[in-house]
Amino acid sequence: MTAIITMDGDVALVEVQATRFDAAEAPAFKADLAKGIDGGPRKVVLDLTRVAFMDSTALGALVSLLKMLGKDGSLAIAGAQPAVRRLFELTRLDAVFRLAETVPDARALVRG
Amino acid sequence: MQERSCVAEEGAVRLYPARLEEVGQLSEHVRALCEAAAVPPEAMIDIELALAEAANNIIIHGYRGRSDGMIGVDVQIVPGSVSLELRDQGEAVPEGLFSRCRTISADAESGRGVGIIQSCIDQIDYRSEGGTNRLRLTKRLSR
Repeated sequence: MTAIITMDGDVALVEVQATRFDAAEAPAFKADLAKGIDGGPRKVVLDLTRVAFMDSTALGALVSLLKMLGKDGSLAIAGAQPAVRRLFELTRLDAVFRLAETVPDARALVRG
Repeated sequence: MQERSCVAEEGAVRLYPARLEEVGQLSEHVRALCEAAAVPPEAMIDIELALAEAANNIIIHGYRGRSDGMIGVDVQIVPGSVSLELRDQGEAVPEGLFSRCRTISADAESGRGVGIIQSCIDQIDYRSEGGTNRLRLTKRLSR
């Protein structure tokens, strides 16, 4: 299990369990999302607190999640560590994803 | 536990099976050498990001699913720079790949690897000779 998904009202909390979230982990993560998110909740908080390192394949899986949620969906990312933040900045996806320090902050963002 | 997947050493070069699940071990090896040499954390992040993308590319595009491929890594740390050389016997990359500029759409789910390497690394040297590809990534360190 790469991601644990729990519901808090209308917000799904997706906690990535891997400390290294990379091309080896991304397929299982996408499978977890397909089971727990696709066609279901439209507001998602992604908790990356445990993730010390992420590569572009895992980042691609996050882009896929964003597309899965669609225009009416809302996604915020909590707890990005320095290497993860650096990846968002290098790829300029820090302008696409909403990054928050903590899960409560991210939850407030998706609830608008 | 660490270094369990390093199956051989040839001089200073460590060899790892070319599989996605082994990239973390390769990365641990490089990280340990950099930490021992007190490489600054910001530079370490860039080196690790570039290394992961380069290794993934070798596994996915170079070896194309072959299960018997290996990746060799040689790390040279001197005052002012860290240099990694990755060696493989897979397919060579298209000419000019590492010097080309590319634009990736924000909603693309792949294709960012080479751009990340270019952003993280100061000098990229690539050559393919006698069936061996050598990718040298040099990161300058500001002290």
